[in-house]
Amino acid sequence: MAPFVRTWMLALALLVALSGCEQRREHTVGAPAAPKKPSAKTPAPPSSRVQAAVGDAQRGRRLVEQFECNRCHDGTGLQAAAFEKHCVRCHEDIWQGKFRARTAAGDNWKDHIAHVRVAPSLEGVGRRLRPDYIESFLRDPHDVRPALAPSMPRLALNAEQVRDVVAHLVTLAPAVSRPDRSLEGADLEHGRQLLEEKGCGSCHSFSGVAALPTRPNPDAGSEQQRRAVQLAPDLRYARDRLRLENAALWIMDPRSLKSDTLMPASGLTRDEARDVAAYVLETPLAPAAPRQPPRRLPPLDRRVGFVEVQERVLGRTCGHCHGNADRALGDGGPGNTGGFGFAPRRLDLTSYGGVASGLLDDRGERHSVFDKLEDGTPRLVAALLARQAEEAGKPNPAVRGMPLGLPSLPSEDIQLVDTWIAQGRPR
Amino acid sequence: MTIRRTLARTIALAAALGSVGIVADAHACGDAWVPEIQIDYRIDGIARAEKTYGKGRHVAAAASVIRMMPHAKNLEPKKSTLVERAVRMLAVATARENGALPVAREVPRYAQGSWLGKTPEDRAKNLAWAIETLRKIDGIKKDDPAVKTDLAEALAKVDAHRAEARSLLEALSKKDLVATPEGYAVLAELRSSGGDAAGGKLALTRCEAMAKEAAVCHGRRS
Repeated sequence: MAPFVRTWMLALALLVALSGCEQRREHTVGAPAAPKKPSAKTPAPPSSRVQAAVGDAQRGRRLVEQFECNRCHDGTGLQAAAFEKHCVRCHEDIWQGKFRARTAAGDNWKDHIAHVRVAPSLEGVGRRLRPDYIESFLRDPHDVRPALAPSMPRLALNAEQVRDVVAHLVTLAPAVSRPDRSLEGADLEHGRQLLEEKGCGSCHSFSGVAALPTRPNPDAGSEQQRRAVQLAPDLRYARDRLRLENAALWIMDPRSLKSDTLMPASGLTRDEARDVAAYVLETPLAPAAPRQPPRRLPPLDRRVGFVEVQERVLGRTCGHCHGNADRALGDGGPGNTGGFGFAPRRLDLTSYGGVASGLLDDRGERHSVFDKLEDGTPRLVAALLARQAEEAGKPNPAVRGMPLGLPSLPSEDIQLVDTWIAQGRPR
Repeated sequence: MTIRRTLARTIALAAALGSVGIVADAHACGDAWVPEIQIDYRIDGIARAEKTYGKGRHVAAAASVIRMMPHAKNLEPKKSTLVERAVRMLAVATARENGALPVAREVPRYAQGSWLGKTPEDRAKNLAWAIETLRKIDGIKKDDPAVKTDLAEALAKVDAHRAEARSLLEALSKKDLVATPEGYAVLAELRSSGGDAAGGKLALTRCEAMAKEAAVCHGRRS
C-alpha cells in the first residue's frame, strides 16, 4: 500500500473515530466529579458538584423498558405499563373498590396495598435533579421521602447501565442553563423565616435543622394533600439532589419545571425564593444520626408452624411478588415469573410446597431458600435481614434485601421465619 | 365443486348451531335477550379441596375432586388449569392410599368407578394412572421440585419404579428440595429397604421435623 494512501486511511479512520465521539457526546451529559462535603462553616456551593454522567441515552431508554420503571413511575418516556402490571394504578383501583374482584377479596387486599398507592413521577427529572445524584441514587438507593412507605428498589443495574439510564432521563428533560442563578449574597436567615411562614413544614421534613413548624391547611385530609405529604422529600437531601441553577425557580414556580408536581407555587419573589433556596441548600446540617440495623432476635422457644409464618409474613408481604403463577393469570409476580429487570426466579412463597421448592439462580439452577450462607444464615432469612441493613445504609452487595423497595420486616417477624426454619420447617 | 360447496355449507351450519349452543344459556328480560353467565363452582371447589389437602386430609380432598369431576380419569392436565390442580391432588391421594381410595361414603356410587380399588387390577390401574398423570404434570411444570416429590411418592408404590423414585428423591434431597414430609418418609423407606439404615433414619428425622403429625412418617393416615 502506498504510504500516502496509508496516511489518508489513517486520517480518515481518526476522523470517523472523532466524529463518533462527537455524536456520542450529543447523548451524554458529562462525567461525574468527586462530590465535595459541605462544611458547616463554609458551605460549598452545590453548583461545583453539578456534573453529568457519561451514558448512552438510547441504551438508557431500552434499559428503562427492560427494568420496567414505568410499572411504578410516570414520566419515564415510555407509556405507562399495562394496568395489571402497574403497581400504583392497580393498587389505587383496589383501594377505591373499582378492581374487578369479589368484594371480600378486595377488602382483604386493601390492608396489603394501602401503602403502595403513589410513586414519584420522573417528569422533568433531568431539569430538576443533578445527574450525578440520580446516578448515585440508582446505584445505592436510599429513602428520601420519610412519609412514603415504598422506596426505590435496589435494581440489578451495573455502573454503565446506570449512566445510560441517567443519560436517557436527562435527555427527556434537558437542563436549561441559567448562569445568573447564583445564590451568592442570599440571606439564609430570611430564607428560614420564609420557609416557616409559607408552611413548608406541613409537607416537608428537614432533618438536621430545627424542626419546621406546620401550618393549618384547609386541604388537610384530602387525597391530594395525602399524596403531597407522601411525595415530599426530606429537605436535607435537596443540596445533593437539586440543580442549583433551578433551585429558586423550583420554589417560585415548580410547575414550570415539572408539570405534574403537587408542590404549590410559593408566591415568593425571585429574591425571596433565592433566600429560601440558599437556606435549604447551604444552611449547616447536624450530622445524621448513624443508623444500626436492628438486632437479630434469637429463635423462639415455642413451636412455629407454616400456617403462622404464612399468615404473619409470607402471605402478607412476600406472596405479592413471589406468587403462584397458576392462580394469577400466569403471572406469579416479578419474583416468580420475572420483572423489574430480574430473571424469573420461579419462587412461589404462597404455599408450603412452593417455599420448599426453592428458586432459580442466575444460571437457571435451582436452590433451596433454606441453603445456609457463609455465616450460617439461611438464604431466606439473610434476604430479610439484608433489607434491614439497607435501611441502615449498609447494603449487602451479595444479598438483595427483601421485601424489595418496601419497609423491612419487624425483627419479630424475621424471628418467626428464623425459628420455623431452625425447627425443620414444620408444616 | 358440489362436494366442496356442500362441505362448506355443512361447516357453516355447524358453526351457526354451535354459536346458538353457546348462547343457549340465556333468558328473556323484558324485550331483551340476556345471556346468562354460567358460574363454574369447581373453581371455588378445587381451591377449597386444596385447602383440605394442605391440612393433610388428602382422602377428603380426593373425594371432593371426584364429586366435582367424576370423569377426572379421562381429563388431560394442561398448563395452569383447574384440571391440572385437581388431578394432581387426586393422583397423589391415590398413590398415598396404594391405589384404593376409601371414598365409598363420600362419593356417590355412579362416580366411584374403580377408585375404591376393590381388586388388585383396579389398584394397579389406579396407581398407573396416578404415575402417568404426575409424569404429565412434571413435563408441563418442568423443574418443579414439589411435582417431582409427588411423582417420586407415586413411583415408589410400584416395584418396577422404585429405583426411579429413589433416584429422584436423592437428587432433590441433595439440594434440600424435597418438598413434603411424605417425600422424606418415602425416601426413608426406600433407603432402609435398600440397606442404608443410617440414611433412612436421617430422612425419617427430616420427615418428623416437617410433618404436622409424626404419623405421616410412620404409616397410614388420611
